[in-house]
Order: sequence, then structure tokens, then C-alpha cells
Amino acid sequence: MKKYILGASLFLSSLSSFGAGYQINLEGLRQVAMGGTGTAWPWDASTIFYNPGGLARLKNIQLYVGASVIMPSTGYSNGAVTATSVKQTFTPVNFYVGGPIREGSPWAVGLGVYTPYGTGLQWDNNWIGRYMVRSSQLSCFFVQPTVSYRVGQFLSVGAGFVYANGTLDMTQALPVQNILGSDADSKLHGAGSGVGFNLGVQMKFSDELQMGLTYRSQVNLNIDGGSAHFNVPSSLVSSFPNTSFGTTLPLPQVASFGIGIRPTEFLTIQFDLNYTGWNSLDTLAVNFSQHTSALKDLHAPRMYRNTLTPRLGMCFKICKELSLMGGAAYDPTPVTDGFVSPDLPDADRIVLTCGAAIKPLPRFTILAAFEGTTSVKRNGMYNYGNFAGTYQTTAATPGLAVYYNF
Amino acid sequence: MKKIYAVFGAALLMMGCKPNVIVTQTPTAGRADFSNYLAIGNSLTSGYTDNSLTVSGQLNSYPERLFEQFQLIPGTKGGSKSYFIQPLLHSDNGYPSAKYVLGYTYNACTGDSSLGPIPYPNFVADPIDANRYVWPNANYNLGQVNNLGVPGIRVADLPVAGYAVNMNPYAARFFNKMGAANTPFDEYLYRINSLHPSFFTMWMGANDVLGYATAGGVGDGTGLAAPAALNIYNTTDITPTTVFTTCYDSLVRLAIKTGAYGALINIPDVTSLPFFNVIPSNSLIITRQSEADSLNALWAHYPVTKAFALGANQMMVYDHNNHIRQSIPGELILLNLPQSSTSCAGYGATQAIPSQYVLTTDELQNIHTATTAFNQFIYQEALRYNLAYVDMNKYLSTVYSGVEYNGVSYNAQFVTGGAFSLDGIHLTQRGYALVANQIIATIDSSYKSTIPLIDVNKYNGVLFP
Repeated sequence: MKKYILGASLFLSSLSSFGAGYQINLEGLRQVAMGGTGTAWPWDASTIFYNPGGLARLKNIQLYVGASVIMPSTGYSNGAVTATSVKQTFTPVNFYVGGPIREGSPWAVGLGVYTPYGTGLQWDNNWIGRYMVRSSQLSCFFVQPTVSYRVGQFLSVGAGFVYANGTLDMTQALPVQNILGSDADSKLHGAGSGVGFNLGVQMKFSDELQMGLTYRSQVNLNIDGGSAHFNVPSSLVSSFPNTSFGTTLPLPQVASFGIGIRPTEFLTIQFDLNYTGWNSLDTLAVNFSQHTSALKDLHAPRMYRNTLTPRLGMCFKICKELSLMGGAAYDPTPVTDGFVSPDLPDADRIVLTCGAAIKPLPRFTILAAFEGTTSVKRNGMYNYGNFAGTYQTTAATPGLAVYYNF
Repeated sequence: MKKIYAVFGAALLMMGCKPNVIVTQTPTAGRADFSNYLAIGNSLTSGYTDNSLTVSGQLNSYPERLFEQFQLIPGTKGGSKSYFIQPLLHSDNGYPSAKYVLGYTYNACTGDSSLGPIPYPNFVADPIDANRYVWPNANYNLGQVNNLGVPGIRVADLPVAGYAVNMNPYAARFFNKMGAANTPFDEYLYRINSLHPSFFTMWMGANDVLGYATAGGVGDGTGLAAPAALNIYNTTDITPTTVFTTCYDSLVRLAIKTGAYGALINIPDVTSLPFFNVIPSNSLIITRQSEADSLNALWAHYPVTKAFALGANQMMVYDHNNHIRQSIPGELILLNLPQSSTSCAGYGATQAIPSQYVLTTDELQNIHTATTAFNQFIYQEALRYNLAYVDMNKYLSTVYSGVEYNGVSYNAQFVTGGAFSLDGIHLTQRGYALVANQIIATIDSSYKSTIPLIDVNKYNGVLFP
């Protein structure tokens, strides 16, 4: 009658993962160096991402390759206990090729491969929040074939189809200890894909004034058949069977407006606004294909809110062979109070950037950029697991790109 | 141009920027003085867990946790005051009987093996544990003991002569005053005089109702029963309120005689403990109509409030007056009901469950009445002597229904709830740490101190094989 032990359920607090601000704004190194602005001005083939409408403005077919190295660090404190995230580096890569289908044609085609979303955070195995998260990582890339048409001197438009592919990894301790007092743990690994599109309109009022409007659709990264591996004491193996899981992660839609002015031949100033539809992430759900009294589907409320990010950048042309760039952005967090979780604690971020463009050969350009990011200190609570603390994240991100005009 | 260089430089400066979230809060003692701490109490204070007392249980008692936090206050540390002396046992197997561990038991009747609490299979009684506690001869005062948690002790036991000699094996090991005429009061007086505590906590009184509850309410329960001998009340009965209040007040006066600040911790509602809630009173599951029919025939001449039918049925029990009747919803079946009795002997179905395993409605009422009266008095005492009042009853009622703590849900689920140990009554190390945090929170608000809270999940919960 009373096999009480088998009927009892264990509590997985969250199996939470990724979280806020898993947006990455490193798709073009010149734009990075200019505070992440680039909706108005088609500088190079990376406009396939920043504004596909600008592709028809390129004079030649261009091949563009770039990479950045993100080195983030997150600190946590609850007054009595402090923790710092494990050092990690991430290297998002960008590749673009595209331009007019023949010299002088109003039609242009291109292909972009870039990484607009991703995150990674790892804490020590025994840190205070281990029952919520030990590590979480989202890696993805978008492939975007694009077509662009120059309507006239003033207007050009473009559209790209987006295929996204990504992997998701989450590990955490489970509040079950073996006979030696060691925690059980769970490891989730899954891969998935999704589709979307990227639309852009580019307006050239004059050589001194340009504007851009873009809309990048939401992409739902559908993960099916991911592996859920549980390392639990032998007496609980039947309660935590290794199984598969599925989840859908919304990679949010972004609408952008940009304006660029060139008051003198030597100076370009750009201003961008990004409106990001984070509110599509209200709950994070992980559905297991096998259930037991202890292993149930997970629903972690997130309640993200939409954000509006202003960005400002400048490019100063020293000479034909050298330009210097600088910029800044204020990136507000989508994470609302009560949902600040340790898998990716997020807060409003201040971004400062700089960089240089060097043109050693007429058709060949080297771009170098550096982005420094710091979040404001945030004293937050994750109601779902009753976990509170103060967080701050900083990241140093150098990057390099080269492009060649054919 | 200058502008650009300025921006250029600012971004690079952030390269050396590291997150800095360390919140420097220096712990403070407020109006109290935590330099010399004494804990008074029963099994909950001793660190009793998994149905026994062990060294590791003692080293993870809530008083030990409180002491560690008190030591974080600058100026609290120093000299003999840096020691927290507990009368440690010698063995980790359990004293005097084996601790419980999770293991498999084979049920010969059903042929099933199931995982559950079993006595530690490698238990050997340690002869040293049966001897008087010997101070390890270090740099502190001979006779200094900071944890006077004695498993089993009741407020009603405080004036009992020869208590340590005759009535309590833990007192026999821990007490210094071992004369046939010595009472626990004598022992506490001696300890308090030699320690001169500056701060104390007192969590007494739970056993004054728990003994009645764990005996299935077989005692009188009204609080009016006469003592079995001078000052000696049956351990299976509820302590008369007048005895409780007189003895409790005397103990508080002893505790503050050296000018100590302190906290009085009230009595939890014991009937919500897992021990009383693992087996629902309606766990008679009938799957065949013929079974229901034969039970209805069998009990035709007894009070059966709801005829037996398919599904869950209230079990048959002996009530407080030893009369057979059907249990009613809300009545509790005790965890110590032998498992084989239900699966094979037909207890609850063809045989009524003996009264010693059942808390009936009137018995539950007796427990609640006494708990309320005792807690009311403890509250008055806190007001009277200007001491902190820790409403542990209220806090544990939240734990019973479930509290979230740093990603873990603690609740009163037996074995898996995390806060209560394998005996279903006492706490796990984590449960004791939760309790310690609650005490700290109350001390902080009463004495305007700022004592850091404990990272509860650093310690052990229930361990699974």
C-alpha cells in the first residue's frame, strides 16, 4: 500500500538556461566599432545583415570574413556569498559575399552567414546557485541568401530568407544527494533549426544624408530530440530515466531605424534605434518524451519585455588608407524584476566601442574593432527558485575582419 | 578629432573592467552580545536526526550553525569564547540505537523490495558512548558546555530528581550533576554558572506534546492527569499547563541570571510532521466490488460512516476509547505502523488499526489545545523578560507546505522533502540550517543586529544509495 518513496516527486527547480540578452551585436566589424550602428549606411557586404536594402548600393562583388572574440565575466554576491563565472571565450564568425549581378546593374544578390544570438555562462560546480544552473550555452548561426534592388538614386530595397541552426546546452545540479553527499546532475543537449526573413529599405537623400529601415523577423529555434542525461543515485535511476527533450526558443524580431550624416568628407555620424521583441519569451518550456513522478515537463516563466536600444557611432577618415571609428550604445535589459535568473542574469548595459579601417591595397580592407560592455549592478530576484543576489557582467570583445572587392 | 580619440580610449579602458559586486556588509551585534552563546533545548537542539544522535548530527546542529554565524561579527571571537563545546559522541553510528539510512527492505508478504528508511546495517554500539562525556582537555574551561540540547527532555522533566541516572541515556552521558537527588534544573544551574552566557536560545516544550502524539494519543491528553510519582508525568501524555508554565519560567530565569540576551523559540505543530502524514487515513484502496461487499458485511455492526466502495476508503481504527470505528477524514495514521500489517494482516481493512498508531479527532484537538496554550505562554515570557520570540511554529508551517530556497523546494514530503530526516520528525542538516536562518532573522529584528544568513544548501539533506 505505501511505497512512499516511489510515489514522491523530486523537484527540478528550473532547468533554466540561456536567458536575457542572448542577442549578439557583432555582425560587422566596422558597425561594431561604431557602437553597433549600420542601418542607414551600406559600408560593406555586411549590410546583408544590417540592411539588405543596402546591398544594391555596392559597386562590386565583395567577399567579407570577420570574427570576434567575446570574453565575458559575471560576478554574483548575496552579501554573504560571492561567486565569479568561469572564464570562457566565444568566437562568433561572419561571412558575407555579394554585390551587383553585373557592373552597373540595379539588381544585387548575396549570401550572409552570421551569429545574431548566443550566450554562454558557466559557474563553479558547487556554487550557491547550482540547483538552478551550472552552465548554459546557446550557439547558433544564420544563413541568409539575399536579393536587393536599387529602385533609383534615392531608394533601394532588399530581402533575405533566413535559415537558422543552433545548439543548446544546459547543466545543473539536482537537489538529490548520493551517499557521499554529492549532488545529482542533469545535462541537456539539443540542436535545432528555424526560418525567418530580413527586410530592408535604404534611402539616400544625398551624399550627406542617408536613412535605413529594417525588419528582422522572429526565428523560432525548434529543438527536437535533444538528449537529457541524468546522473542520479542508483536507487533513483528509474525516477530519472535518460530521455529526449524538445523545446522552442524564440530568437526575437527586431525593427531598426537608422540615420547617417556626413557633414564633411572626413566625418560620418550614425544613429540607430533597435526595437527588439523580447516579449515573445514569456515562458521557457522543456518537454521530456518520458515522464515519471519525479521527472515532469518544465515551465520556467521569463516574462521578458521589449527593449529599445539607441546607438551612436562616428567614423573619421584620416586619409584614404586609414579611418578611425568610435561609438557607444545603451542596451536596456529585457529581464523584468522578479525574473533575474543566474543562468544569464541581465541588466541594462553600457557599450563603448572603437576601431580602425585600414586599406593597404585599393581593393582590400582590414577592419579592427574593440567593444567593451558592462552591465549596471543589478540586485535581482528570480522568484521561480527564490534566488536573490547582485549581479554584474562585463565583456571585452576584440574583433578583426577583412574584405576584398572583385 | 579629439572626440574620436576620447571614445577610442574609453572603450579600451573597459578591457580591464571586471565585475565588482562584492557587497561589503560588516556583521554587527546590535543591542546583543553573541560572544558567549548557550543553546538550551531538546533533541532538535542537540542535532538529533535520522532517529538517533551522531557526531555528524551534533556538528550540524542549528546551535553550531548559529555559533558559526555569530563568530562572523567582528569582536565576537577570542579566547574560550571562540569555542562552541558540544558534548560530542564518539561514534557516528547512532546512540543509543542505530541511526536510519535509506535502504531496501524486502516485504515477504508482497514479495516486493522497496526503498525506505532502515536501521543502519553496520551499527555497532560504541562502548565509549555509554560512558560519561569526557572533556577533550583543551584550552577551554573544564565544564564549559555550550549546547545543552538533551534529546527527549521535556519541560515537565526539569524538576525530576535522578533524571540523568534513571530516565534519559543522553542526560546520563552529558550531565555533570549525576546524583540520585539531582534534577535537570541543578545541571543547568551548574552549566550556566560556569559558562556565564552572554546570549542564549531556548527551544523547549515540543516533547511535552510530542510524546503523546507519537504514542497515538493513548494517554489522557486533557492535561489533567495526575503524576505517576512525585513530579513524574507519563512521557506518553501531555504535560499539564500549570506544570509547563512553572517549569518553563524557572528555566528562563536561570538562563538570564548572568544577564544574557536571548531568544525563545516556540513549539511547532507536531501533527504536521511527516511522521503523521505519510499514510493517509483513506489509504484503503478497494479494486473489486466483492472486497467492498465483504468489508461492509464484516463491519455491519460497527460505526462505518461511509460504506466501503471501489476506490479509496477510510480505514478502520480503534479510537481513543479503544472502540472500533471507521476513521474520518483528517485523522492521522502514524508512520511507525508496521508495513506488513497493512499489506498482509489486513490492518485498516479486516482488522482495525490499534489506537497507538492513530490520532483521532479528539486527540488532535488535545494536541492543538496544549500547543496553543504553551506557545501563548512562551510568547508572554518573551515579552516579560524582553527576549526575542521566534515563531518557529509559523515558519515550519510554511516549510510543511513548501518553501523555495535557492532553487530547491523544501517541504514535508517524507524522504524527498529535504527538510525532514528519515524519522519523519527531526530535521536534516539542511532543515536545521533553515531553522537557524529563521532564528537569525528574528534575532536581527529584535536586537537590530546584522548577522549573515547561512548557505543552507552547503549541508546535507537526505542521502540516497
